[in-house]
This record gives sequence, structure tokens and C-alpha cells, in this order.
Amino acid sequence: MPAVLGLEGSANKVGVGVVRDGAVLANPRRTYVTPPGTGFLPGDTARHHRAVILDLLQEALTEAGLTSQEIDCVAYTKGPGMGAPLVSVAVVARTVAQLWNKPLLGVNHCIGHIEMGRLITGATSPTVLYVSGGNTQVIAYSERRYRIFGETIDIAVGNCLDRFARVLKISNDPSPGYNIEQMAKRGKKLVELPYTVKGMDVSFSGILSFIEDAAQRMLATGECTPEDLCFSLQETVFAMLVEITERAMAHCGSQEALIVGGVGCNLRLQEMMETMCQERGARLFATDERFCIDNGAMIAQAGWEMFRAGHRTPLSDSGITQRYRTDEVEVTWRD
Amino acid sequence: MQAPGDGEGGAAGGAEGGAGSREGEGGPRPEGAEGEAVRAPPQAEVAPQPAGSGRCLNRAPSKLTVPFRTPLEAEMARRSLAPYVQRPRGLVQKELTVNGSALAIRWTAEDPVFFRISVNAFLDQLSLVMRNIRGFGSPPMRSLGRGKRTDT
Repeated sequence: MPAVLGLEGSANKVGVGVVRDGAVLANPRRTYVTPPGTGFLPGDTARHHRAVILDLLQEALTEAGLTSQEIDCVAYTKGPGMGAPLVSVAVVARTVAQLWNKPLLGVNHCIGHIEMGRLITGATSPTVLYVSGGNTQVIAYSERRYRIFGETIDIAVGNCLDRFARVLKISNDPSPGYNIEQMAKRGKKLVELPYTVKGMDVSFSGILSFIEDAAQRMLATGECTPEDLCFSLQETVFAMLVEITERAMAHCGSQEALIVGGVGCNLRLQEMMETMCQERGARLFATDERFCIDNGAMIAQAGWEMFRAGHRTPLSDSGITQRYRTDEVEVTWRD
Repeated sequence: MQAPGDGEGGAAGGAEGGAGSREGEGGPRPEGAEGEAVRAPPQAEVAPQPAGSGRCLNRAPSKLTVPFRTPLEAEMARRSLAPYVQRPRGLVQKELTVNGSALAIRWTAEDPVFFRISVNAFLDQLSLVMRNIRGFGSPPMRSLGRGKRTDT
């Protein structure tokens, strides 16, 4: 019954989680929130993580009711993500692994999301829509790899939403995407935006440029409200994501879809995906904000799978990498 | 280069104080945290600047020595920070060495701006490692092997 400690901090959320045999024993998290109209920079984010991570670590152990000796493995986010925050978390992981004389495991952040989604929802072999501020991929498991069937060719969908939120000076608390979602519920007018699906891939940078320009013009003339723009942006980008997910499901003959990543918390996205799944006779799986948003337990869960499969990361090989593809990892813990 | 330290405590206190004031950290110290076993502040050496040069170029190495309580802690800090050090840094080179209970860091940089950035970033991570070691117990007793350990 191994218990794995997981440390996550690839973006503006830093979390420490403990997982043992499929049970999440602890999962505290802190978010670095910046003022409206601004984003989070690597140095400032890393400073935030360094200030809180040791308290989070203690909090996780206390919440789990475990001592350091009862931890069997220390997992951390190896990548992808922002460099300075990743380094800050990795340094703590290396240190506690040495202090407690436990094996260390570097985990792919994307696979952390997938494994936590599978654990929480019970989905067996779904087509995964992974959508967050840093990543947008459609993924399916095949022959020991999480294969990327489609992805963004430029910015992530969450990045598109977050940067649009800055234009409107929408609050970043608790997250810009959440506040866009609330405003979108009050939108009444659909503003036509570019719809950019390229085969299995999507593109959001042009939509962002278009809506940033349109926002200035249309809001100044009263042609639409900020709520209308939030609604229109969501409808457009989410429809694109539904299309490429459905295409992947048709290609794979999949009857399950799983949404993971911070944008996966969005209820409108879940609603649109549910409609598509029902039309195909498929089943949709999604988690709540505890596990959709970056968290330590997802790293612990992926680490738990990897640990049981015999994976280890030597200290000499325990660096971080800002670019770490989902399909780089050999998934030896699945058939 | 002045090493962060006010002489009131060991290197852990010195480096931590510098980083702590920069980060605004002020969290509660863990119960039972041991006092400083090392009293000497970090030692720093800086290469002399060429006279009359309009631009400050530091091609000679600068060195910081950080004493720890035990050789094991020093080696632990080196291993925690070594993967960070090993990333290619272009104009700045860093070398970590353990001598007894002290961790020695040597910088070689051509540009003072990159040098300053590198030192500041490294001290932030070093401070985190030291707080981590202090807060989560003494390392398990095990042999380090013989000789100096060096990472570049």
C-alpha cells in the first residue's frame, strides 16, 4: 500500500498532495493571484511558491495523518510549465527525498491530469480533452503512450481566455476563466468570431487578436456588452474543442470522453461536450475544481502508478523541462 | 560581492535572512527546530575590477562558501541544487563543491547583469533548501563516500 507525496507548481498554482491506493489523503493548494489586467510572471510566481510550499508540505502531511516515514515515494512535476516555478518545487522534492531517504519520481504534468481524471471518474479508456491555461490537447491511450491526436498550434485555450480577461480588466480571483464563465451566463448576443479548426488541430491566437480589437470597437459604440463578448468567445472556442474531440473519438471508436485541466471546470464546456457525447451514444466524464485545476494529488497519483510500475528518477536526472510532451512518457503501468 | 549575512547566526541564518527579506517570508518556524550549529557567516571572494574600464567585466571567478551543520547537509544541498546548476547558462558558469561541512559555489561570468541575476536566483533556491532541511528534520545517517564532490 504505497503512499506517494506529489508536489505541483508548474504555473500559478502550487499544491502538495498525498495519495495511497487510489485514495486522496490530502490535497492543499495555493494560487498566486495577480491584479486585474495583469498576468503572472515566472519570477514572481516562483517567489510565491517558495514562500508557501513548505507550509503546504506540512499541511499535507498533517491532513493525511502520515509521518515522513510513512511516505514511500516523492513525486514532483518535471514539466511542462514555467521554468522558475518548476525549479522551486523540484528543489523541495529533491531535498525531502534525501531527508527522508525516499525514491524520487519526475512526473509529466499532463499525465498527472489524465491519471487523476481516470482515478476520480473511473473512466476506463477515454478520449481525453486536456484544456488549461498552458495546454490544449486531445489525447488517447494506445500501445504504452498517451498519443496526441490533436492540439493547439499556438496558444492554449485557457491562455486565450485569460488574456482576454486582461483586456476587460476582469478579476483574476479566483481565476479569470471562472469569472469569464460567470459573465458569459449573462451574455445575450452572439458576436461572430473566427472559427479556426485545422484538421485535428485548433488555433486560438487569431481569435484572441480579433476579439481584443473587436472589444475596443464594439464596447465603445455600445454594439455589445462585455458579457456578450465573454459568451461569444466561450461558444466559439468550446465548439472548436468539441469538434476536434469528436473527430478523435470517431477515429478511435471511443465511447468515453474525459475532460481534464483547469478549463475543464467550465460548466458550459461540459454541457457542450455532453451534448456531443449523447448524440454519439458515448459517455462524458469530468471532475470538479479540486482535481481539474492543477493540484498536488494528481502528481501523487501519476507518481503512484509510476512507482508501482518500477519507475525511479535518479537525483542526477531530476531536472525540470519547460517542454515535455505527453507522448514522451512510456506508460508502463497500463496494458 | 557581499555574502548575505549579519554575523548573528550561521550561514543558514545569513543566506536565509537575505532571501527572507527579499521574499517577504515570515512563516512560523517549525516546532523543535534546532538552533544554528554553525556560527561563521558565509565567506565571499570577489575578483578585483579592472581600473578605468567603462563596463564592469568580471571574467575571474567569484566564490561563496556556505557552512552547514554537517557534511551530509552540505552534500544534500549540493545534490538538491546541482540539477539547477547544470542547466546551460551561456555567459554564467557555476560550480558547486563540498568541502567538509561547507558548500562552495563558484561563479564565472562575463556580464555583471547576468552574474547578478544568477547569484540572486541561486541564493533564493539555496535559502529554500536550507529552510527545508531545518524544517523537516535531520537527514538520515548514511555514508557520503570519500573525497570532494563537484558539479558544474
